[in-house]
Amino acid sequence: MSKQRVMFSPVTRLSGLLSVDVMLENGRVTEANASGTMFRGYEWIMRDRHVTDAVYLTQRICGICSLSHGAVASYLLDELYDNELEDNAQYLRNIMFAADFLQNHIKHFYLFSLPDFIKMPERPPFHGQNPADTRLNPEDNQRLAGHYFEAVKAAQESHQILALFGGKAPHQHSFVHGGVTVAPTADKIEQALALIGNISEFVKSRMVPDTELITRVYSDYFRIGITPWQFLSFGLFRFGAKNEMFLWRSGVLADGQLYPPQLALISEDITSSWFDKTGAEEIKPDPFKPGAYTWVKSVRYAGRYFQVGPLARMIINGFYKGGTATMDRIYARTLETLLLTELVQEWLKDLKPSHPPVNQKSTPVKKEVTAVTDAMRGALLHTALIEDEKVVKYNIITPTVWNFSPKDGHGGRGPLENALVGTEIPGQDMLFTILGRTIRSFDPCISCATHLLDCKGSVKAKVVY
Amino acid sequence: MQKEEFSQICRELSSGSNHALSGAILPVVEEHLAFHNKKKLPVIWLETNDSGDNNIAFMNTTYPYLGRVFTEMIDLLYSNTFMAAQGRGALSILEQVSETYKGKFTLIVEGAIPKKDNGLYNAIARTETRFITALEAVTRLGEMAEYVVAIGTCASFGGPTAARPNLTGSAGVRDVLDREVINVSGCPVNPDWFVGTLAHLLMYGRPDLDKLGRPTLFYGFTVHRHCQRRSYFDNKDFAKKLGDIECMFSLGCMGPRTSADCPYRQWINHVSWPVKANTPCIGCTNEDFPDGSSPFFTPMPKKSTGKESGKNTSSQGGAKL
Ligand code: SF4
Repeated sequence: MSKQRVMFSPVTRLSGLLSVDVMLENGRVTEANASGTMFRGYEWIMRDRHVTDAVYLTQRICGICSLSHGAVASYLLDELYDNELEDNAQYLRNIMFAADFLQNHIKHFYLFSLPDFIKMPERPPFHGQNPADTRLNPEDNQRLAGHYFEAVKAAQESHQILALFGGKAPHQHSFVHGGVTVAPTADKIEQALALIGNISEFVKSRMVPDTELITRVYSDYFRIGITPWQFLSFGLFRFGAKNEMFLWRSGVLADGQLYPPQLALISEDITSSWFDKTGAEEIKPDPFKPGAYTWVKSVRYAGRYFQVGPLARMIINGFYKGGTATMDRIYARTLETLLLTELVQEWLKDLKPSHPPVNQKSTPVKKEVTAVTDAMRGALLHTALIEDEKVVKYNIITPTVWNFSPKDGHGGRGPLENALVGTEIPGQDMLFTILGRTIRSFDPCISCATHLLDCKGSVKAKVVY
Repeated sequence: MQKEEFSQICRELSSGSNHALSGAILPVVEEHLAFHNKKKLPVIWLETNDSGDNNIAFMNTTYPYLGRVFTEMIDLLYSNTFMAAQGRGALSILEQVSETYKGKFTLIVEGAIPKKDNGLYNAIARTETRFITALEAVTRLGEMAEYVVAIGTCASFGGPTAARPNLTGSAGVRDVLDREVINVSGCPVNPDWFVGTLAHLLMYGRPDLDKLGRPTLFYGFTVHRHCQRRSYFDNKDFAKKLGDIECMFSLGCMGPRTSADCPYRQWINHVSWPVKANTPCIGCTNEDFPDGSSPFFTPMPKKSTGKESGKNTSSQGGAKL
């Protein structure tokens, strides 16, 4: 193989639409341009609306991680209206949030990632699979393939916990500013405990051993798709009357040091994105912009790119001691799933049967607030500027924007593009297989990544502890 | 075999002295069963501009669970979410199956279709030289399909994707196709509404539709009509804050003009729905969702008129109170 350009499109088994344009030279990836090919313009949609609509409306940004948008919008409103949270509200919020994580991670491993590593039955929707590098023996392969639909059920039960307290899923209703509108009653707690018991059983007896088997058989992927040690997390699971405490810490890990994130150091760049700024007061979408190749913007922290997601959280919290390759990302996600099943069980036991723990204040005490959390895929930020309770500006930076950042003004690549460049491709039939495994290890979500607009000047100097 | 034909055979053979009924009927029954066992809907599923929530909702289907839907109801020939094939291989499957099953496949569209700038705001795939836009793909496949099903409110009516100011000129599938579209709206869809519609197509053909193209089976009544809190409403006993147990009309409930069977059916194995969670219905199955429902927590008479809406809604959705 000499020089070659290949378009990997569509990259299937993810949320949203993604294409990756790859340059190859002598069997090595020398450049990769990741292209998110859908745009909706959510920040514009948010304008002029009552700011409390944010909890329900921003959930519609993403179907697989919808609660995380509702959650961060609720934290934002809590600060804007100066709400006081009850303990029960925080437990319920965290239970629902973790339940949404569980369905996401279970679906990601079994429905999106596993068909990269095992041979699926030759019938729709699995027909046309390239079996070039499926290494499991027939019995193991068959067992794991059988877990596919068990996983669907476990994910459904996770959403059932969310719906039990949240009304429905995706796009739950009860996790709102000021708390949670549903009463935690003995019957609901018991029902949720039964459900999490099933899920926990599935994770322990299926997902963890299945992941370990894949990590053993494909151990070379601990050396493929490596990224530098630059990780960021905004922390996860709030407690305290003012959301002031995190169970899992936030942090920026760079040059071997862990710092508290300073939001003022976050900047965005549109060099390679289909947005235009020339002459306009604010950024406008421009699908004809020469040289651009994606609707995803580049986001940088102190001018550098950072990887976000389960691996970042597990490393920053000291739960994972491995490396930064494709298989590390997969392993860390399963490890997080296991930890979450245990947390949900603990929290359910800590809940006290009570009235609906919600107290909303009605007059904003601030005009501008930035709120952060981690979502399934990593760091998530919402900022709102309001006037008379109406949104003047609403800005969102999603996890996939961090991980799928295109080239910035200095030609610097984001985490995914970096992970792909340098990858060895032993044969043409292995190209999409190898790239697909690494791309999916980031759990791409393009619907969430490709809607955002100007964030310039609106993130205040704020440190997240 | 049609019902009439079956009855005819039964009548003809019932008086015979040779008790030939079962002999004549059984092969027909077997053939019927074999035919039906073989018969699955060939489905092409395109994801366009939405949040992916509808296929996430679809995975929550219970009785039948997803495995059974895949083995017994549909052949999901193309799906960005589920298929094992990827890249060029996936795209060739799309080209191939749309020809092989021309006139016989069901096209499912999930998401709105951006129309501005030739649809460049959504490409379902790229080649080395060009974008295959959702506009192009839906137009072409929509003409070739036997049925077109829009899943979710974005695909049905534009939904949140087409909310004001609708920068991308997005619209529902019915606005880009000159044919009947079955709209299974909802943000997201309740999996029962969608799997139920597929079941109807498979077993009995096209379901009855309301004037917005939605199966009356699921959208025939308003949420308000069967709401568990209807007695509070009738007594003018309204909630003062979220979390209260009275009627949610005072807090923005859209139930009175939203068609859906949420109060009966409920969500995810039938455990709850927004009013049961002490929050208002926000009218997510409606033609003018979300603009006509916002501000969400403001009572209906005081909501925005929807005039500044990004889409041009032709009529207000749903059945009467
Ligand atoms: S809560 Fe909504 S749907 Fe139920 S009775 Fe009141 S207005 Fe009607």
